[in-house]
Amino acid sequence: MIQILTGIQNTSAALDAERTRLDVVSQNIANAHTTHDLDGKPYQRRVVVFENVLNNAINGSGNPDLPTMHVARIDRDPRGPIKVYDPTNPEADEKGMVAKPNINIHEEMADLISASRTFEANLAVVKNARSMAMQTLAMGRH
Amino acid sequence: MIEALFNQPNYLTAKKTLDAVALRQEAIANNLANLETPGYKRMDLAPQFEQELQRACASSDGQQIASLNPSLAQDANARAGSKDGNTVHLEEELMRMNQNAMTHALETQLVSGALAKMRLAITGHS
Repeated sequence: MIQILTGIQNTSAALDAERTRLDVVSQNIANAHTTHDLDGKPYQRRVVVFENVLNNAINGSGNPDLPTMHVARIDRDPRGPIKVYDPTNPEADEKGMVAKPNINIHEEMADLISASRTFEANLAVVKNARSMAMQTLAMGRH
Repeated sequence: MIEALFNQPNYLTAKKTLDAVALRQEAIANNLANLETPGYKRMDLAPQFEQELQRACASSDGQQIASLNPSLAQDANARAGSKDGNTVHLEEELMRMNQNAMTHALETQLVSGALAKMRLAITGHS
């Protein structure tokens, strides 16, 4: 296929991956106090893992020198739960300690900002590629 | 006969630079896509292309300019900005992208100008 906007597949893959990351961060924030996840344990922080694949390995298009990035998997943060003393909580053990999710809200906010900055940078690439394509199409006009 | 019009060194250089700019845009787009990929090393135009283009321009030999082939390579001078070894820096990359867009605008104008001059020579009006 003719490539009018060069390098755009990788950019859209990155936009997609950053969107996933924003989703995961919002899920983490939403579950900052969930003491019962689906497995009955306190919610564990989810982390998005990015990886690169060679271009021709998926669809044979694009520049073979440049690998495409995508979300490899959404994993769990191995850090243990945070123990908080709260004897009034029905989830508390015999010592009055409650196991809360291993989520640090400041960390999540920093992650949120970094993901949206990367998203914006990729949008800037799309705008730039578009204006370059328009210039190319206007070549020879007077 | 008509080919000679399109084989002037200036026109060929502008065309070749446009090829390189398109390739560089692809590399920069990819670098920004991999801003958060651990261990990613930034890509850019292979540094020898610029030297080869300069040499070819100095020789004013159309054949030599037309035979140039811009390619991408890992940027060997890039330094890692984070512990994971990723060598892409957001601001630097955006600056390069803008620089590249300006080069593209310049080169398209050069090509348009060359074509307009040819049209003027053929028709007598632009």
